[in-house]
Amino acid sequence: MFVSDFRKEFYEVVQSQRVLLFVASDVDALCACKILQALFQCDHVQYTLVPVSGWQELETAFLEHKEQFHYFILINCGANVDLLDILQPDEDTIFFVCDTHRPVNVVNVYNDTQIKLLIKQDDDLEVPAYEDIFRDEEEDEEHSGNDSDGSEPSEKRTRLEEEIVEQTMRRRQRREWEARSGSGSEPVAAALEKSSRLFPGPMSDRTAPRSPRRDILFDYEQYEYHGTSSAMVMFELAWMLSKDLNDMLWWAIVGLTDQWVQDKITQMKYVTDVGVLQRHVSRHNHRNEDEENTLSVDCTRISFEYDLRLVLYQHWSLHDSLCNTSYTAARFKLWSVHGQKRLQEFLADMGLPLKQVKQKFQAMDISLKENLREMIEESANKFGMKDMRVQTFSIHFGFKHKFLASDVVFATMSLMESPEKDGSGTDHFIQALDSLSRSNLDKLYHGLELAKKQLRATQQTIASCLCTNLVISQGPFLYCSLMEGTPDVMLFSRPASLSLLSKHLLKSFVCSTKNRRCKLLPLVMAAPLSVEHGTVTVVGIPPETDSSDRKNFFGRAFEKAAESTSSRMLHNHFDLSVIELKAEDRSKFLDALISLLS
Amino acid sequence: MFCDKAMELIRELHRAPEGQLPAFNEDGLRQVLEEMKALYEQNQSDVNEAKSGGRSDLIPTIKFRHCSLLRNRRCTVAYLYDRLLRIRALRWEYGSVLPNALRFHMAAEEMEWFNNYKRSLATYMRSLGGDEGLDITQDMKPPKSLYIEVRCLKDYGEFEVDDGTSVLLKKNSQHFLPRWKCEQLIRQGVLEHILS
Repeated sequence: MFVSDFRKEFYEVVQSQRVLLFVASDVDALCACKILQALFQCDHVQYTLVPVSGWQELETAFLEHKEQFHYFILINCGANVDLLDILQPDEDTIFFVCDTHRPVNVVNVYNDTQIKLLIKQDDDLEVPAYEDIFRDEEEDEEHSGNDSDGSEPSEKRTRLEEEIVEQTMRRRQRREWEARSGSGSEPVAAALEKSSRLFPGPMSDRTAPRSPRRDILFDYEQYEYHGTSSAMVMFELAWMLSKDLNDMLWWAIVGLTDQWVQDKITQMKYVTDVGVLQRHVSRHNHRNEDEENTLSVDCTRISFEYDLRLVLYQHWSLHDSLCNTSYTAARFKLWSVHGQKRLQEFLADMGLPLKQVKQKFQAMDISLKENLREMIEESANKFGMKDMRVQTFSIHFGFKHKFLASDVVFATMSLMESPEKDGSGTDHFIQALDSLSRSNLDKLYHGLELAKKQLRATQQTIASCLCTNLVISQGPFLYCSLMEGTPDVMLFSRPASLSLLSKHLLKSFVCSTKNRRCKLLPLVMAAPLSVEHGTVTVVGIPPETDSSDRKNFFGRAFEKAAESTSSRMLHNHFDLSVIELKAEDRSKFLDALISLLS
Repeated sequence: MFCDKAMELIRELHRAPEGQLPAFNEDGLRQVLEEMKALYEQNQSDVNEAKSGGRSDLIPTIKFRHCSLLRNRRCTVAYLYDRLLRIRALRWEYGSVLPNALRFHMAAEEMEWFNNYKRSLATYMRSLGGDEGLDITQDMKPPKSLYIEVRCLKDYGEFEVDDGTSVLLKKNSQHFLPRWKCEQLIRQGVLEHILS
């Protein structure tokens, strides 16, 4: 059920208890986690923080900890699947889920006791009404002599609950039996069992003919998209408790910017949320404008900026930034010689000498930096790039340290997904979490360096893919596969990096191709994940249009394709459109996908 | 040269950094005691000879040996005393149960001294704060907050908290726990205090 009063029904409940926080591995979750940690430390709530990067880790961690805690908080994981079925908790366990993944699973919505959703209800959810989904249960029964219209809603509910309890018991028995019989089975086979149990939607469970209930559920669960950033939700909670600080506001900004950088929300929603945050920014930071009562230089100041969308341009040279931002690289077509010439024309048009532009940005002449934003915007308009500037925020403290929100997002993302194998996955999570604190600036700068490497590698891979025509049209979608020997291919085995690469690749492809039909196709991208297990990561990206609503149907499509060809697939990530697949099953999986979508 | 071995003992202890207890050098101590015994016997015979035979030219030698004996005694006593001071610091560092490695470095008598020290410290602590006593080995520096944020550096297992429930300490999990429970584990290196 949805929590309406966050303070009474969530915060005051957990304030006197010990809680366990499960945090997913993305920047938005990290920011939400930092805000919540700050609140808990202020109120002395004893908590334990466990990072999770996928469903398997979530299940194992839950099994280990379920004896010790009654209250669990899940950040950016768990809203889009049936939690009670997967985790099989005890009767008195309560879950608070703050997740951006939509659509929210209907069992989570309509469960009154154990699952509380920290999601605002006006967040364009379109949950189907209770009666639509759960009424047809009674109509399927033998003795439908009693008209379901006439019976009380409470009777329906008890019957429904009995059936749910029965189903849960059956699944629990099935799981026990499997655990006893197949304990030494290969992980992927076990994972396949889990994946078919993970989404026991109307398709795989019942053999009854299609009913309106199934249609409604299918329509509801077909497209995957994202809602309001969890960091913003947590910040609103802090604001309600009057415990919000500038630092928490900055984390909320970084969370929102992460959603924009990864193209998870529409432009309209981003602008609306920026407006909401701007009010908070002016509330906290109004003393900066006042000449007399200014704060010391070391204090944090956040300010609203209408700044260029070139990534990391203040920490890099302008030239590098222009070459490695996907927006400019795609529009200029920088993988071709012609594109390089256009870039030079662009710079000449603004009157910026090449030597200056290739220097570090902080070392550029002041006279050139003064009107840089307006100059670039004007010239960009001439070259067909209308959205060169974007509304965002910047933070600065001390004399040296100034960061745009997108800088911090890229730095943290690179820290979290860096391919160095010196520690387990949780080491990177901890490093990324630390880098968000102001006292760990060295980690943030390290993250910026990693981000630069990552961006360069992305652009080079895109250039090589386009020049060697690796993006092939398979009919209903485009397909691209990274071979094992490609340089920096290990950078792209993690889901967020691969998704970012795919989105940029699609944008560049759309700009480069003349085929009008291909411009509207979605993209499926595969990259090798692990050589020993022979697995690849496959990502599906919706088609690129200016006004797209960012809804992704690949989650369900992958699942059905894998089922029909019995490919060994693992749905480990919280984003349903990212899967792991055995390399041998790749071709038949693709064929199934083609026939499914055409 | 005389007193060399005693100097060795002192040097060995000087080399060990503050707070560490090297193994008890039983051999070295035995050698020093033997040297002292030899010197004493030689001195005894020389004194007898000087007194009876009237050979006063032996007196400087006797004086020299006597000085060596005094020096040896001073060095050995300093060695033993410094070790005792280190062992006392261990009680404040590690608590009443010492790790096994350290126990092997102590002689039997040192162990006994340690137990006696523990006992008198415990009696004193019990006598302090009314009925229940006061644990003065905690909070060696004034604490800034009741609860601290800690991160687990290695897999430790279950750890019991005040109200009877337990927390599972796994690598890289972060916890927010009462300060007094965590201090021991921070000293042992299982948890790391995070200052944000």
